[in-house]
Amino acid sequence: MITGTGVTKTYRQRGSILGARQVPALRGVDFAVPRGGAVSFIGESGCGKTTLGRIIAGLETYDDGDIVIDGTSMSGLGHRARQPFFRRVQLIHQDPYSALNPTRTIHQTLSAPLALRARQTGRSRSWTDERAEELLSLVGIDPGYVLPRYPHQLSGGMRQRVVIARALTMDPDVLVADEAVSMIDVSLRLGILSLLKDLRVRLGVGVLFITHDIATARYIGDDSELYVIYRGQVVERGPTETIIAEPVHPYTQSLLSAIPVLHGLERPGEEQVVPTEALDEGRADEGCLFARRCPFVTERCEHEMPVLGRGGGEVQRHACFHPQPRSVIPVGAGQ
Amino acid sequence: MTSTTHAPGVRIRDLTVVYRTPAGELPAVRGVDLELVPGTITGVVGESGSGKSTLALSLLNAVQPPGRIAAGAVEIDGLGDVLTLGGEDLRRTRGRQVGYVFQAAQNSLNPLKTIGKQLLDLGRSHDVADPRALVRDAKVLLARMGLDGGRVLDSYQHELSGGMRQRVGIMLALVLNAKVVVLDEPTTALDMITQATILRIIREVHEERELTTLVITHDVGAIAEVADGLAVMYGGRIVEHGPVRKVLATPRHPYTQGLIRAIPRLSGDISLARALPGRPPTLGTLPAQGCVFRERCERRLAVCDTDDPVVITRNGRSVACHAVERAAAVAMRKEYA
Ligand SMILES: Nc1ncnc2c1ncn2[C@@H]1O[C@H](COP(=O)(O)OP(=O)(O)OP(=O)(O)O)[C@@H](O)[C@H]1O
Ligand SMILES: Nc1ncnc2c1ncn2[C@@H]1O[C@H](COP(=O)(O)OP(=O)(O)O)[C@@H](O)[C@H]1O
Ligand code: SF4
Ligand code: SF4
Ligand SMILES: [Mg+2]
Ligand SMILES: [Mg+2]
Repeated sequence: MITGTGVTKTYRQRGSILGARQVPALRGVDFAVPRGGAVSFIGESGCGKTTLGRIIAGLETYDDGDIVIDGTSMSGLGHRARQPFFRRVQLIHQDPYSALNPTRTIHQTLSAPLALRARQTGRSRSWTDERAEELLSLVGIDPGYVLPRYPHQLSGGMRQRVVIARALTMDPDVLVADEAVSMIDVSLRLGILSLLKDLRVRLGVGVLFITHDIATARYIGDDSELYVIYRGQVVERGPTETIIAEPVHPYTQSLLSAIPVLHGLERPGEEQVVPTEALDEGRADEGCLFARRCPFVTERCEHEMPVLGRGGGEVQRHACFHPQPRSVIPVGAGQ
Repeated sequence: MTSTTHAPGVRIRDLTVVYRTPAGELPAVRGVDLELVPGTITGVVGESGSGKSTLALSLLNAVQPPGRIAAGAVEIDGLGDVLTLGGEDLRRTRGRQVGYVFQAAQNSLNPLKTIGKQLLDLGRSHDVADPRALVRDAKVLLARMGLDGGRVLDSYQHELSGGMRQRVGIMLALVLNAKVVVLDEPTTALDMITQATILRIIREVHEERELTTLVITHDVGAIAEVADGLAVMYGGRIVEHGPVRKVLATPRHPYTQGLIRAIPRLSGDISLARALPGRPPTLGTLPAQGCVFRERCERRLAVCDTDDPVVITRNGRSVACHAVERAAAVAMRKEYA
């Protein structure tokens, strides 16, 4: 189990006329990835998703708040003492092409981390080959075929499975999948998604799933939770199916309205929401962060910042003064 | 779309493009026929390696070694067969008549020069007499796409977001008044809101300027939003082609059916979605004879191993599949019985 409370991160960019510019990437984010659970983060480019994933994987520091891994607070530990905890979180990158070393066979790629793991857990060297085969079978590829080959000899889907197998060599508690299916061919995407779902059940590994393609979040398990993040703030969260079918925050509605409609198969939702302006990160933070783009903005929104609170139901939460359900997603043409 | 359009038509005929590999020359595009109706947007979808970018490059006669256009013709109204053009004529055609936005326009800009400098370079290479008018046109186009032209022209690529770079790519493709425009993966790697904006801009600019447009992508949803016609490519072949809504509503080729079933959807029963079994072919694994899709096909017949299915067109819809053809023949016999 990993929880975050009030996780805050501000990048300082050099080089602007006014000296260092502050870029708030995360503004007090709370989250929890239960054992074997799944949490998805959606939001536009630059809203802080990758930053959060990297913080959870120990690849980036945070300025404020806390990350708690299996009951241990990371804020209380020094850099070295944190490492064994962060090793339980493994990051899967977007690009299965650059993630694997092109000069090494898959066997070599898996052997190095497995040898380390064997030392850590007091196992013999012969265990590593067995384990490599076991992991490849687990991710749904034939070890005999894959092990002697180089990455360029494999399809994108196979490569991503190898990347996942490599992440599993560390026996992680949580996999962070940052756009892990967006570069995979559409015909193979569902295969990777059901693999992630399967790993949750079979290994009890939690999944933090970061995506632009919101529909894919439905396929990592019907018990998953969805977080909508905007300019570093979680603005709506709840069960994935609920947030997609009955979003109440105008930003969530904007994201869902932007998803292409498969005309002929589907018709667009009747109350689509289109932001009035493009994302502009470099502006003042007074009031609601979405106010300048929100079609439903009122006087109050300009001056007061809404916080994530309880919504209509017990489980759905939002940060908006004027929440309102709207039907924005496409529906089947036959319905 | 209107009968009075000034947009040119484009006819690709029996086009074959090969790449030299250690295993000999292998076809990335094979015997493709495709007509771009004047004033329409045609979308080409297919998995990576299906030959989409190679097809797009052929429209400019711009396939680079180790690639080579081995056969076929690309006729553009008012230009003739661009595959017979060379030297100066070809250089002038690119940009002036056919505009091209490369895959990942985001990275195809020069990082060391401002956008304005690159615009002037483009003008110089096409002997534009009035650079000021060129800059003015560029600013109008950028403003049309919601950008501050002056600021963008003064910027370096790294100072622009992905969506802004994509719009700069579209501006550079249109600023010399090309009437045929090819966009390769125009929204890949953009977030949903930016993608929706770019697709809307493509549609609007296409209509205002009366263009004939080809959009290449692996994303069926993007095509559904923007295109009139949909061509589905697999293993270098166009396996299905027709009006986009009809193809999506009643896909006929087994590959099109599998592809649509595999799309993650926002509504409906998720258990109905299924990944397509097997993996996409590469140049080396394409069968030398028979149907390119047969390894992954549920309806495979004996004839599929030996004979390439030919494209059959009925009522504006084209399909290349033995099983579909048989079913149609049976249905027709019943009708006449
Ligand atoms: N190393 C860095 N230095 C300065 N600013 C950064 C750095 N990394 C990220 N940022 C800024 O932090 C914010 C959040 O970036 P992040 O990469 O987390 O977004 P994201 O949601 O993952 O976006 P995308 O969907 O494009 O991957 C952005 O404003 C970004 O420009
Ligand atoms: N320069 C090249 N040399 C050899 N093979 C190539 C080259 N460019 C593309 N190919 C091969 O041609 C096929 C089609 O490629 P491409 O047109 O880029 O497909 P798509 O755009 O649909 O992904 C692929 O199998 C690809 O590997
Ligand atoms: S608080 Fe106001 S501005 Fe912000 S999302 Fe809600 S309605 Fe829009
Ligand atoms: S021609 Fe045969 S193998 Fe090819 S798609 Fe049709 S039925 Fe399947
Ligand atoms: Mg990111
Ligand atoms: Mg391509």
